[in-house]
Amino acid sequence: MDNNYDNNLVSELDRHIVEFAQLLRTVGLKISPSEISDATEGLTLIGLVDREKVEAVLQATLVKNVQHISAFKEAFRAYFASLEQKEAWQKEVAQKTSQWNEKIENTYQDLRFQDNELDISEEQRAVYASLPEKDKQRLRDFLEKSSNGTRSGVPVDHSYQPMVERVLRGSLEYWRKKLNEDDPILSPGSTDGVLSEVERALRDREVEVISRDLKKISPEEWPEVIRLIRRLSQRLASQVTRRYRAARRRGGLDMRSTLRKNLRYGGVLVDRSYRSRRKGRPRIVLLCDISGSMLKYTEFVWQFVYGLASVVSGIKTFAFGEALIPLTGKFRKGQTFEVMVKEALSVSGKEWGGGTNLANALETLQKKYPDTFTKQTLLLIVSDAQTLEGDKAAALLGEVQRHVRQVLWLNTLPERRWQETPYVKAFLPFCQMYECYTLAHLSQILNKQF
Amino acid sequence: MTNRRNLDQFENELEAIGYITERDDRIALTAFLATELGKPLLVSGPAGVGKTEIAKVLSKVLDAPLIRLQCYEGLDETKALYEWNYQRQLLKIQMGREHLQEEDLFSTNYLLPRPLLQALLSEKRTVLLIDEIDKTDSEFEAFLFELLGEFQVTIPEMGTIKAKEQPMVVLTSNGERELSDGLKRRCIFLHVEPPSVNKEVRILRAKVPDLPERLALEVARAVNVLRERLALNKIPSVSETMDWAKALLVMGKTGLDPAWVDATLTLLLKSQDDVELFYREMGAERLLFEASKMAQVERHVHGQQL
Repeated sequence: MDNNYDNNLVSELDRHIVEFAQLLRTVGLKISPSEISDATEGLTLIGLVDREKVEAVLQATLVKNVQHISAFKEAFRAYFASLEQKEAWQKEVAQKTSQWNEKIENTYQDLRFQDNELDISEEQRAVYASLPEKDKQRLRDFLEKSSNGTRSGVPVDHSYQPMVERVLRGSLEYWRKKLNEDDPILSPGSTDGVLSEVERALRDREVEVISRDLKKISPEEWPEVIRLIRRLSQRLASQVTRRYRAARRRGGLDMRSTLRKNLRYGGVLVDRSYRSRRKGRPRIVLLCDISGSMLKYTEFVWQFVYGLASVVSGIKTFAFGEALIPLTGKFRKGQTFEVMVKEALSVSGKEWGGGTNLANALETLQKKYPDTFTKQTLLLIVSDAQTLEGDKAAALLGEVQRHVRQVLWLNTLPERRWQETPYVKAFLPFCQMYECYTLAHLSQILNKQF
Repeated sequence: MTNRRNLDQFENELEAIGYITERDDRIALTAFLATELGKPLLVSGPAGVGKTEIAKVLSKVLDAPLIRLQCYEGLDETKALYEWNYQRQLLKIQMGREHLQEEDLFSTNYLLPRPLLQALLSEKRTVLLIDEIDKTDSEFEAFLFELLGEFQVTIPEMGTIKAKEQPMVVLTSNGERELSDGLKRRCIFLHVEPPSVNKEVRILRAKVPDLPERLALEVARAVNVLRERLALNKIPSVSETMDWAKALLVMGKTGLDPAWVDATLTLLLKSQDDVELFYREMGAERLLFEASKMAQVERHVHGQQL
């Protein structure tokens, strides 16, 4: 009997740990079964008496990344909250979800053309639902009027519906951009009370500077961000190994591998092997977009450029708007990016924050600085890919790509918006493009690449 | 297991050899967990917060010799695990051409064990410190999996060598590079932050016994202000704080004053950039002012608690 009771107790603990691990997974942690078993063993060892110790054990066994600690803390607080608290959260979520569903349901009533439902996406419906009543009314008026016929009084039939839908979609798209530029307007999310509480807390705390859009980072937080960027760019710079690797007749004799090879000849040195440098340091060429659409990211671009330039020697930096602006060797300590670019601009007589022409920039690079692109070159482009003469730029990029080691494109536009940008598709075959508008992105890219 | 200890005993032993922990930093609990579960302990945190010290202390507590592998870019298995003693093998070949068997050459006699193999071959339990694992490349990290997971290594010419006594492995990382999931999964994780003012005072008092409490407090507060308020490239480490305090003692000072801070600043800030940043954004007088303000806040909180 006793034995049985014990078994039940253990399995209840297991169930909680597994459930808690699931919760952690939904907020972005990677947790393997072996780690869950470590957690169980750890808890058996330390005991369940002291809440703080339990938290410490779970953190030590389940969280393996500093950046995840805050998420873990929130999850722990929410999962091991009192039952009443959990019920309250559940109620709140249920209420929110039903409100949301009602709102979306209403859009099916509101947005009709001659009593037919319109073909618009869930996100667009959500945009409509979050508009102020006055603007909703305007859209409804438009639908009603167009249902009744053209302005000149000619009656319309259902064949006009696609046209009306297009107009409506365009208008909702405009509102989406106006309401919120990048974040999708989505349903309140999980129907699970605990999870939604964790998500809310994480949003509220916004401790995750690293995963926030860089243009939304406030000036007080910049020192922290700058430090992170410096660290990341240091990593980019230190990726080159100084290791020697055996090769034919370059560098000194590799004694170890020579002896090893020749043991089979009784120690008489017949074959020799030599060392050589493994891979040269890449020469980084940085090409930064400073056009109007990129202004919000200037601080990020600047810190990245400066961070890189201060750790990698021989980095070549160019900015481009409508034309190419060489920046190499113009960095001075304590000077802001803006001042520096303005100085460079006044020399070349161009304007800050204008249009974008990548084709022009690449052409100038090739003509005026022919030695920029070699097989050692890593071309790093920071831009949102909104450029004039995109086709020409893509063709030029293709040509450049053949001459350099690698072309990396850090795109400040979120990946799901790439489809809407006309030329992204044209650039994709010639470079590795990554979305990069948070520090988390930047560090992910560096991990993947280097 | 005869000498199995519980957490309280473990904490007491740490205290007894002069290693100072606080409940909040969870160092004792996490290290205890790693030793008892027999898992490697992965310690991360900024430079100079005492990551390496943890391994040294564990070696004392467990009464196990410390074997240290310092990682660097380009470290490979011949430096970390083993190397054949080629000279000796050659000699053997020259000596016994006729009766030579292959096994004669590839036996433990001709093996030069490097730190990892030393730890496995040791008759006694050891503490294996793999320092700054983030400096190596990912190939080396993958190579460590076998050692960390199963406590064994495979040498192609000889076969698999299993640990005689499972070593206690401590890995440290400055977070220069993201470590692979495989490695992290096999470890117990501990993140160490710079010490709080209270903890640092205790450390100072323990390591520099002559230092009066009031001075220790002033020093710890000032260093804390430096760490928290300025975006330094490298924050002052605990050992640098100690150097600073010792200098203070040697000069016969009884308190901090701006002129003295100016004169000895280079003991704490070791790069020109950081020194410039300090004078641009703070300066000695402001530093002392902020530190004394902190003292007032502490007193206030303390008073409320009473």
